[in-house]
Amino acid sequence: MTTTQAGAAAVKILIAGGFGVGKTTMVGAVSEVAPLRTEEYLTTASVGVDDLAGVDQKDTTTVALDFGRITVSPELVVYLFGTPGQERFWFMWNDLVNGALGGIVIADTRRLETSFASIDFFESRGIPFVVAINCFHGVNTRSAAEIRAALDLDPHVPMLVGDVRERPFGRDALLALVDHLMALPVAG
Amino acid sequence: MNPYWDEDEGDDGADSMVRPYTITRGRTAPRRDDFTLITLLTTVQEPVDAYGAPVRPGRLQPEHRMILDRCRTPAAVAEVAADLDLPVSVTKILLGDLVEQGLLTARAPIAVARAAGGADRGLLAAVREGLRRL
Repeated sequence: MTTTQAGAAAVKILIAGGFGVGKTTMVGAVSEVAPLRTEEYLTTASVGVDDLAGVDQKDTTTVALDFGRITVSPELVVYLFGTPGQERFWFMWNDLVNGALGGIVIADTRRLETSFASIDFFESRGIPFVVAINCFHGVNTRSAAEIRAALDLDPHVPMLVGDVRERPFGRDALLALVDHLMALPVAG
Repeated sequence: MNPYWDEDEGDDGADSMVRPYTITRGRTAPRRDDFTLITLLTTVQEPVDAYGAPVRPGRLQPEHRMILDRCRTPAAVAEVAADLDLPVSVTKILLGDLVEQGLLTARAPIAVARAAGGADRGLLAAVREGLRRL
């Protein structure tokens, strides 16, 4: 492990996907520390409740997220944030979403639909991402083309297939994201 | 004892909402709002004020001292929150106190917004180099 200096700065990458697809597992596989957990209170205005009161009803929800870190150099730390399972909450967590380098969407071939929302979200926010298909025990009953079609992935979005418990797969997914970022036209 | 009242006991949120904001003496928002989850914090070793005089910390709570201990090596807001087992928003308030007193320095994350041109190539190359060693 490299020691970070006081002059170090950080970037973050989001690890998204449906509930139970292996987000924290992937974070743990590549992180230099065991995944850490932190919580935040999110205030959410509930819609359509108590309209007559003339006051927005506010609910406070506690959302937990797991994250890890990779010290790539004494000056640079990459934080990996596994997005909370409750999609409707992390979508509103601006501090989590803003300023992300990019994302990895993990999908499980047996229930691809649980990762649709994450893909839609990254697309709508213009956050570059790659898709990592998690095949536990290497069991994959579908072809890559079938999965791409089912996820309605743009042809330019990289997709990898592997086991999220294995560090090389997590590393390759992160490298695919960085390569994807480098290949994107410079915006603005 | 009224059994119906007991049903409210242990209602999630009730207890956990009160304690954290007690630590902040009732404040629910930081004085500065530019902390992010990955803002890096570093404890100032021998803090001095603008005139070079050593800073004498004001009222510090145990949590403040824990933060100063933790940030001897740079740590992100999220890491400090996880270590203190406090919600991020509460942690930010405590961090704000320490930055204000000159006991802690904060370093903003590297800007990578696509709208602002995206991450620079040098940064991406450095990230790739680091990942290859995993």
